[in-house]
Amino acid sequence: MRLLGFAGLLLASVATPAISQSAPGESAQGDVSVTIYNNNQALVQDVRTLSLPKGRSKQQFPDVSAQIRAETVTLSGPGIGIVEQNFDFDLLTPAKLMEKAVGQTVTLIRTNPATGAESRVRAEILAANGGVVMKIGNSIEVLRDDGLPVRVIFDRVPPNLRARPTLSVTLESAGGQVPTALSYLTPGLGWKADYVTLFDEAKQTIDVQGWVTLTNNSGTDYRNADVLLVAGSPNNGRGRGGYPQWPTGTIDSAGTETGDRERLGDYYLYPLAERTTVANAQQKQVSFLDVTAAPARKVYEYTNGWLGSSDAASASSVLKFSTSRSGGLGDQLPAGIMRVYMRDKRGDPQFIGESQIEATPMGSAMSIRTGEAFDVKVKTVVEERTRRSSSRWRTKMRYEVTNARPEAVTVDLAQSGLWGDVRIEQESQASERVSADKVEWSLNVPANGSVTVTATFDGRY
Amino acid sequence: MTFSRFFAFLAPLLAPQAVPLAAQQLVVSDQPENVSITIYRAPDRGERAIDPDWPQGYALITETRTVQLPAGDTMVRFEGVSEGMFPESAIVTGLPNGVREKNRDARLLSPQGLVDAYLKRAVSITRTDRATGASRTQNVFITAGPDGGVIFESDEGFEALRCTGLPERMTFPAVPADLSPRPTLSILTTSSRPITAKLTLSYLASGFDWQANYVATVKRQPPGEKPKMDLFAWLTVANGGKQSFENANMMVIAGEPNRERHGEQPRPTGGALQIRCWPMQRTDEVPYNPGYLPPSPPPPPAPMAMMVGEGEEIMVTAMRRSGDRMDMASPVAAVVAEQEGLGDLKLYRVPERVTVNAKGQKQVAMIVQPDVSYDRIYVARASEHSGDSTPLSYILRSRNDEKSGLGIPLPAGNVAVFENSPFGPLLAGEGDLPDRAINNEIEIVVGQSPDVRLAVAELRRTKSRAYWRATISNARNHPIAVEMEIARDIAGRARGVEIVDGVPTWRVTVPANDEARLDYVIRLR
Repeated sequence: MRLLGFAGLLLASVATPAISQSAPGESAQGDVSVTIYNNNQALVQDVRTLSLPKGRSKQQFPDVSAQIRAETVTLSGPGIGIVEQNFDFDLLTPAKLMEKAVGQTVTLIRTNPATGAESRVRAEILAANGGVVMKIGNSIEVLRDDGLPVRVIFDRVPPNLRARPTLSVTLESAGGQVPTALSYLTPGLGWKADYVTLFDEAKQTIDVQGWVTLTNNSGTDYRNADVLLVAGSPNNGRGRGGYPQWPTGTIDSAGTETGDRERLGDYYLYPLAERTTVANAQQKQVSFLDVTAAPARKVYEYTNGWLGSSDAASASSVLKFSTSRSGGLGDQLPAGIMRVYMRDKRGDPQFIGESQIEATPMGSAMSIRTGEAFDVKVKTVVEERTRRSSSRWRTKMRYEVTNARPEAVTVDLAQSGLWGDVRIEQESQASERVSADKVEWSLNVPANGSVTVTATFDGRY
Repeated sequence: MTFSRFFAFLAPLLAPQAVPLAAQQLVVSDQPENVSITIYRAPDRGERAIDPDWPQGYALITETRTVQLPAGDTMVRFEGVSEGMFPESAIVTGLPNGVREKNRDARLLSPQGLVDAYLKRAVSITRTDRATGASRTQNVFITAGPDGGVIFESDEGFEALRCTGLPERMTFPAVPADLSPRPTLSILTTSSRPITAKLTLSYLASGFDWQANYVATVKRQPPGEKPKMDLFAWLTVANGGKQSFENANMMVIAGEPNRERHGEQPRPTGGALQIRCWPMQRTDEVPYNPGYLPPSPPPPPAPMAMMVGEGEEIMVTAMRRSGDRMDMASPVAAVVAEQEGLGDLKLYRVPERVTVNAKGQKQVAMIVQPDVSYDRIYVARASEHSGDSTPLSYILRSRNDEKSGLGIPLPAGNVAVFENSPFGPLLAGEGDLPDRAINNEIEIVVGQSPDVRLAVAELRRTKSRAYWRATISNARNHPIAVEMEIARDIAGRARGVEIVDGVPTWRVTVPANDEARLDYVIRLR
């Protein structure tokens, strides 16, 4: 044993470069770039310099993503040819170690519980089913049948069991130091945007800061990586990520301006300015947008469903602004959550609500619903329902909008559910039919006052 | 294997050190100097009570912290933040060159985390002899772990941890730099020279909630006068977290800010070492026993001590004998939260600094409105079936204006109505109030009165008409106001019935110890 250890020391000094994981924080990764998409998917490119022997050799690649999609691995480099790629995820555990030791001989060290004296014996493992059956000398025993302590020492670990799932590539090479580019896709990395919006009601402006928030649940650190974020969710070909997104209702009219940012096909790219380490179980935020004093205004909206009635329902407070280059945020917005803050009387920012936004082109008119207004309420009443014939009803509605705020407000009041053929027979104020099934009144409600609208509908329901 | 044995000897030199990456310096900000906490109600909680274990609302926490920044790149780590923090909402201001990145790390220092960090590295194993107490330490090298067990290599060969029956413990040379005791927020920033920076950190955190708890005390008035009550409200806040906020500015927000479902957080790593050894069955354990024993049932709770002392009962009796008790008055509030507008929400600020305790609830007065006038109205909805008489509910109705003694925003909450009686103040009922703006109508459903009853009966029916009669009986010794809705298609006009918000409603005053009758006709299809 001792002699072997000494021989090992000599051998080791020759092969030291192979121990790539010696010091903490060091990694076998080379020059890493990580491209992260919105849909929990990332492309990792890792340029490692390998010291290759001439001919065929098997190279291991530790420190790849623990969730690597092994079928997407590509390795390339000057003068190398791939023979095969293997991804082994049979983990080395005590049970596996014993199972693979069947037929081999191990050393048992028994400790005398009274004296602490140790005795060594060699044993052949015959089976490991439920209990471990061994042959010691000429007798057959079950390991630790008496419950007394026994150390089992194995001479070796099985060659194809590993501590971590491991990628290995067998390749042919002319030999020497070869820079190789390893690339693969992995789930477990994703990003979204988080916006901090400070609304100044007096000046009717917003300050918006955008942060990209990336999350690493892939089980692996990416050290000193060049990070690129792609605003988009490429279909991953398995029908999982390909479903269309629900519209969030935040884009009033989609913009037609093209931004200055780099793009890849239809996706915008957000490269991080500096290299950074994306650690496992980490959420990282980096700023990408900072706009001050963009114009914004607040409106109130309320939509009543067909035959809906309520005593005093709050209207929604909605913040409207533009992402246009002129008079707006001047950028396209990746999908995420916009949190809106306002200063209280002491000047401290307070949170007033948030809204999910979808990826928004530059030049769009946006409306963000921040919450329900305490002081602007709508009372809706079904005043009268008359049956005109077997298929027509006449419905008289009354809407009372009250404003307890000390200033006048504008409320967009809508009645939906008109099913296309509903006619308005009479209304106290002119409305706009915004779509076949929706009609809208824009109401100016005076300070501490109220406005009442009545309308009579003629329809099938 | 030979390489690794070689490495085992060098290990002490190469052991992990608690140094952050690259040339960053670490500055730890362990606690805030000044905290403001603004609490928001749980969205969609409705009339349900606050969950005291983990309140479903949230809070905006704003802290000021002073840090000494050296020149160059610095990582500032924040400690003592609320454990319910939504890290993506964190905002840090007050740095000369801004924030380069914000990180929230959730690799936790744990037995599993240590083995994971020391995989392929050197640790030591100490075995203590149970017989002699002597211990022996061996330098070993972790070959595999922490999933499914730990295998290590010594100069004797490979062994599995804790499969021997011997007392074994692992010793690690240092704490790995990237493991922390709890999820940690840090920022990267840079400064050209050493400075003292006053930072403001604000973030949203879960585990908080609040509501208004109204106490309405009905005043005893001389007969014939308009009834009045004193309206008082407590602002009840709850903190379900482990973090106390001492000497904090406290505010609450009434109204309904929109909240979205928040995205996926990094899952904290780490936990207990789960060691599974090779099969360990002995010859006496055949046939195979999966080794699972159901957990023993929990011990029965200790019998409750009989806490109701006799002394207490005697005291109550004595109080009863004292005859008429004092009328209940609303509590006198020395500190009342101040209300201000915040956009379309209402902000209530506690004017003094308070301490919001971990796992605690706190109450401060928020509304004190004496002499609120109201109407007591019995309400009913005419049934569509004939039947025996049923008791009517009664409500307290008022308008949120100055004329009624109100005219202030009333945030949603529970209302307990007390009435004074010869036996002292008694609970008359509890109701709920939604958010009410100035000038809105207020209705609190208090309870039912067995003395005021409604009976409806169909008297006769033709092909197209049904003739109904409603009878309201009043066994009280004073007149009462009743409103009965007839949510049906009424034919013609009935005396006393008017259409209120589209619903035919019979408004009537029933004299003391008397009845009122209404005949009405329903149109049949």
